[in-house]
Amino acid sequence: MTADKNPDLAAEAAENRKARLRGMIFQAGPLIALVLLMAYLSFASENFLTFDNLSNVARQSAFVAILAVGQTYVILTGGIDLSVAAISALAASIAAVLLTQPLVLFGMDFGYVPVPLAVLIGLCVGIVAGGLNGWLISRFQIPDFIATLGTMTAFRGAALLVTDGLPVPSFNAGRQLPEWLIWLGGGQIFGVPVSALIALVCALAGWYVLRFTTLGRAIYAVGGNRAAAHSAGISIARTKIMTYAISGLLAAIAGIILVGRLNSANALMAEGEELRSIASVVIGGTNLFGGEGGVWGSIIGAAIIGVLGNGLNLLDVSPFWQRIAQGVVIVVVVIFDQWRRRTMTRV
Amino acid sequence: MEEYEILLKLDRIEKRFPGVLALKSISLDVRAGEVQVLLGENGAGKSTLMKILAGEHEPTGGTIEVAGRRVSGLTPTLATELGIGLVHQELSLVPALSVTENIFLGRMPTGAFGRIDWKKAHADARHALEALGVAIDPTAEVRTLEVAEQQLIEITRALERGPRILLLDEPTSALSDSERSRLFDVIRLLKQRGHGIIYISHHLSEIPMIADRVTVLRDGIVVDTLPAAEADEETVISLMVGRQLAEQFPKRTVTLGSPALAAEHLAAGHALKDLSFTLHRGEILGVYGLMGAGQAEIAGALFGLQPARAGTISVNGAPVHFRSSADAIAAGLGLLSRDRRQSLVPMQPIGPNISLSWLAGKSLLSRLDLPREREESTRYVADLRIRPASTTHNLFFYSGGNQQKVILARWMSSGASILIFDEPTRGIDVGAKAEVFAVMSRLVAEGASILMISSELNELIGMADRVLVLRGGRISAELPRAEITQENLLRYAS
Repeated sequence: MTADKNPDLAAEAAENRKARLRGMIFQAGPLIALVLLMAYLSFASENFLTFDNLSNVARQSAFVAILAVGQTYVILTGGIDLSVAAISALAASIAAVLLTQPLVLFGMDFGYVPVPLAVLIGLCVGIVAGGLNGWLISRFQIPDFIATLGTMTAFRGAALLVTDGLPVPSFNAGRQLPEWLIWLGGGQIFGVPVSALIALVCALAGWYVLRFTTLGRAIYAVGGNRAAAHSAGISIARTKIMTYAISGLLAAIAGIILVGRLNSANALMAEGEELRSIASVVIGGTNLFGGEGGVWGSIIGAAIIGVLGNGLNLLDVSPFWQRIAQGVVIVVVVIFDQWRRRTMTRV
Repeated sequence: MEEYEILLKLDRIEKRFPGVLALKSISLDVRAGEVQVLLGENGAGKSTLMKILAGEHEPTGGTIEVAGRRVSGLTPTLATELGIGLVHQELSLVPALSVTENIFLGRMPTGAFGRIDWKKAHADARHALEALGVAIDPTAEVRTLEVAEQQLIEITRALERGPRILLLDEPTSALSDSERSRLFDVIRLLKQRGHGIIYISHHLSEIPMIADRVTVLRDGIVVDTLPAAEADEETVISLMVGRQLAEQFPKRTVTLGSPALAAEHLAAGHALKDLSFTLHRGEILGVYGLMGAGQAEIAGALFGLQPARAGTISVNGAPVHFRSSADAIAAGLGLLSRDRRQSLVPMQPIGPNISLSWLAGKSLLSRLDLPREREESTRYVADLRIRPASTTHNLFFYSGGNQQKVILARWMSSGASILIFDEPTRGIDVGAKAEVFAVMSRLVAEGASILMISSELNELIGMADRVLVLRGGRISAELPRAEITQENLLRYAS
């Protein structure tokens, strides 16, 4: 467009519409990528677009998706939670031990813990472990990365202590894992995996809190501009602790569901999943520096990772190449995201 | 007509960003040996134009000619090669590096095997600084220096690349009067040597000091270019805002009420040693001081952002102790901080930025009042004439003046009745300034009190009922309205 054809109002409005449309396409980028990926796979492999296969992908992705919801919260505040998978393992180990073995503390035998209490304790472990992350970060002013790197190792250690380094339930276990827990992990309702439904519920709750509560606003404010949040009277420490506690709770939920799916827990389960959860969040368009993004993007991010892995399996790509493909996807998506931010930026 | 050598010629430059037309059609030329002052309200397109010339943005239309040759695909490197040097509005130095390293960033003189020749580097840096009449140790780390010194280093760096055309984007915003006159001496020197200079400023008083020609931008077009002699303040302002400003300082006299905010022997930070004052309902109490006189610490100490070292604060006659800004907000205080960027969440639209102050002291689990947020943001956009009048664009896309209005709206909506305005017009344009002042008058008429900390003499004279002058962290004078003059303010401050 040249300057001597000075844009009149109609052209201006049309331009604005175009810009808005472009903005929407940018926003929907991850979703479009997922649809294209799935479209390609449906042509490339006849086994891909079957109900069984898709429900299988959903079941497998549910774990990372739940972690990604909590990770989204943390990343929105400008933090990062490397300890999510370790919290999952710790909470799952504790819950599994309590579910299958009599509780022995300091040499005293308390007998079997009631099943609901065992699960509740597992969830509380997640909240406390996450809260501990937030407290360390805000109380001692240490970088999120370092704090959660440290607790990641420590939580794994704690999980090893709890399980004695053995899979739970072990062969001499007295009690079996409850049927409903196995149903949560592996069961389905009308063919839809229960775990995927739980992930969906977690995402819905996560979206609601971000959108409609003071905490949600505080999270965006702290991540968007710490100083502004502080001077507007928002407690950074409380926001951080809450955020990490939520991440911990979701990690515990994911961990306990995983116990159901695997019918077993061990201290080293879900290793590396923290990185997949971070990748999901980033692929979903949440700004790694905080303040921008949301839960749904992360769910789509988790789905992209899940579908990609599944698709490459169906296409008989070797697992080695799969890893390379996943890495490439992460980097390419972030390149695209950076480019999007640049073109949307006016200085 | 005299013949001039045209160094730079812009013809119908257009720059379009997604959803925003920043520059519609900019045509201007820069002659050798002139200082062209570029004026315009915030958002008129000055900074965008500078970035295009420096090769940081690509125009979406129009042509650029440098020394008669048409240039396309301008990049920062190419711009430097063509002799275009830009001094940024925001500091762009590397704080952890030395002065020398910053001046020669990316171009350090090297000896054999690419080793940096430190001796030569420091000597060259010292030489360059001396040419500006600046006594700064080239080996000092930049972060240890004052903002004004950093600004001078920024200018030195641009000059060191030998530009023929120098673009200065508000270079004096952080400088004191003496530093400014030193900079002007350097500019005059460059002029004599045949450089062409584009100088952006908000200080209309600088036009007679330095300008040869004045170009006024408004809404992305050049409104007029006129010789400095014809560019008196009134003409320029009306060109900038496109309407006659009814009144720059719409001061209303309000009968004073009971004490709203009082401090006794307040001390905070390093600079503020002893401050006592009583701010009454309906009053605008000004605070003036030269850089480092302690005025920068006041807002933080009163608002609970920074612990006071000594002294007491009372609100409405009752002593208070603010442990955080949430306490201060609960007591009815509001803060417009001196650095706007400290107050805004740039990647959020107007609504969340206004309602941020409502969150203070609320349980994190409470529900947001989204209908009220929508309603109030629409109302304040209309009420304060916030432009663009959109409640969906992120605040990032707004000009400084409009961002400031959003922060005003934040405190108006939170019902704050004691307002601390720390440099309320810093970096905003004339039109927005008048609007901010109008809001201040309205607020005090409605029974609020304003503590106005400012380094702008004119606005204190225009708006304050009383001014406290600070010197060395203590009050050196208290001037009633009749005695607030430039002479008095400067005399007691220095």
